[in-house]
Amino acid sequence: MSYRIPIGPYHPALEEPYKLELICDGETVVDANLHIGFNFRGIEYLAERRNYLQGITLVERVCGICSNVHSLSFCQSVEQLNGATPPERALYIRVILAELERLHSHFLWAGIAAKLIGFKTIFMACFTLREKVMDALSAISGNRVNYGMNRIGGVNRDIMDPSSVMSILAEMEREITRTIIPIFLEDKTVESRCKGVGILTEEQAIAMGAVGPLARASGVPQDIRKSAPYAAYADLQFEVPVETAGDVRARLVVHALEMLESCKIIRQALTTIPEGPIQATVSSAGKFKVPAGTAISRVEAPRGEVLYQITSNGTDIPERVRVRTPTFMNMATVRFTVIGQELADSPLIQASCDPCYSCTDR
Amino acid sequence: MTTEATSFEVTLQEKGLGSGWAWSNGSWWLTPTEPLDVRTMTEQMRALGARFLCMTATERTDKEIRLDYQWDLDGKLLSFVTATSSNRIATIADLCPAADWVERETHEYFAVEFTGRKHTQPLMTRAGDPIGINLHKEVAK
Repeated sequence: MSYRIPIGPYHPALEEPYKLELICDGETVVDANLHIGFNFRGIEYLAERRNYLQGITLVERVCGICSNVHSLSFCQSVEQLNGATPPERALYIRVILAELERLHSHFLWAGIAAKLIGFKTIFMACFTLREKVMDALSAISGNRVNYGMNRIGGVNRDIMDPSSVMSILAEMEREITRTIIPIFLEDKTVESRCKGVGILTEEQAIAMGAVGPLARASGVPQDIRKSAPYAAYADLQFEVPVETAGDVRARLVVHALEMLESCKIIRQALTTIPEGPIQATVSSAGKFKVPAGTAISRVEAPRGEVLYQITSNGTDIPERVRVRTPTFMNMATVRFTVIGQELADSPLIQASCDPCYSCTDR
Repeated sequence: MTTEATSFEVTLQEKGLGSGWAWSNGSWWLTPTEPLDVRTMTEQMRALGARFLCMTATERTDKEIRLDYQWDLDGKLLSFVTATSSNRIATIADLCPAADWVERETHEYFAVEFTGRKHTQPLMTRAGDPIGINLHKEVAK
């Protein structure tokens, strides 16, 4: 006998408001319907009623986890329109912030995944490490979230004490290598809970336009930092971990290895960051003049590619601001990943896609 | 324009994506004066292995909606631009499932009707809610 289980939009088991209807036959999920939009704030519409400076602050509120990528994408789009080229040092600082944010997001994800697996020791370890990343972000920007670092033509603050970030980095690398990677890759309990569970095939990932670690865990080697480098990524050496199994375990592996790559990128950026200014030198009269035109910018957020399209009509208020977030592309894949799976595995499968409904709904 | 950029423009022509592609502000753009057949373009993009990224709707002064379809071809961003006719345009969601949510969202925000869809279930809004919520003129009322 089939029955329908409505979960959400407000439910103790959900971190964010969305609604999932699971149609089950016994303990097996046979279909699923996803309903979003419970966190819709009309940010695109609001951004078309604020000037470019206000827009930076607004779009940083799209997401509480990957706030930096939104202001970065917004600023990069405007910079293409008005030609305010950030200095080299600012580009490196943007990379460092982006990778610290990736670490913060991945630790959060790994902690929640560990909790759902039933491995609460790793949940605690991940959240302890996440606190250290947030300490580093706070030391650089003054804020734990919504860092306010990006500006049109550069960044607002310099990294005054790189050595303190280096020491945090060393501690994180040690813990990732010693604790997180061995458990995610080798532990039998984790393997039995995750291997072969919630599979998204490469064909499904491509057809649905999946991005980020979700796509890379399904064998799609797509990463904007490599394929269309921005900021200072073209100067830095790093690998893009790709797994082919497409299951929850593959997502764990990709996320864990990406944490190490982020540490590698931050270390390189801190040691090779050029001296110099952090803001473009433009005349005060032309500083925020944005000529008419349309520009697009893409950034590899922790959950995958973010795309901003901005159309200017030559005034100080953008005519159109388009925000496409990674979860908007990724969440439709949940239906494929839960069908045929045990009902009890559905929370872990959903979480393994690393959803963010604040981003999705905007 | 650099030699590399010119070479890519030629490549796009050779791949059957037509002439007139021009690089500007982070993307290759195709902005023909005549309306594009979005379904044919989608089939060509899919055949080339391009990845669907997004569709951006923008309200025009003539009350039609400009639609920019963005694709990624080997890391290069390709955007082709067309517009609705009487606020209607053919769906590509059956050819490219990745476009399903973005079409539903565009229907709700800009009241665009995507012809050929089997159904257009609400995505951000709920059944019975008004459509066109991002249209400037509607909110101005």
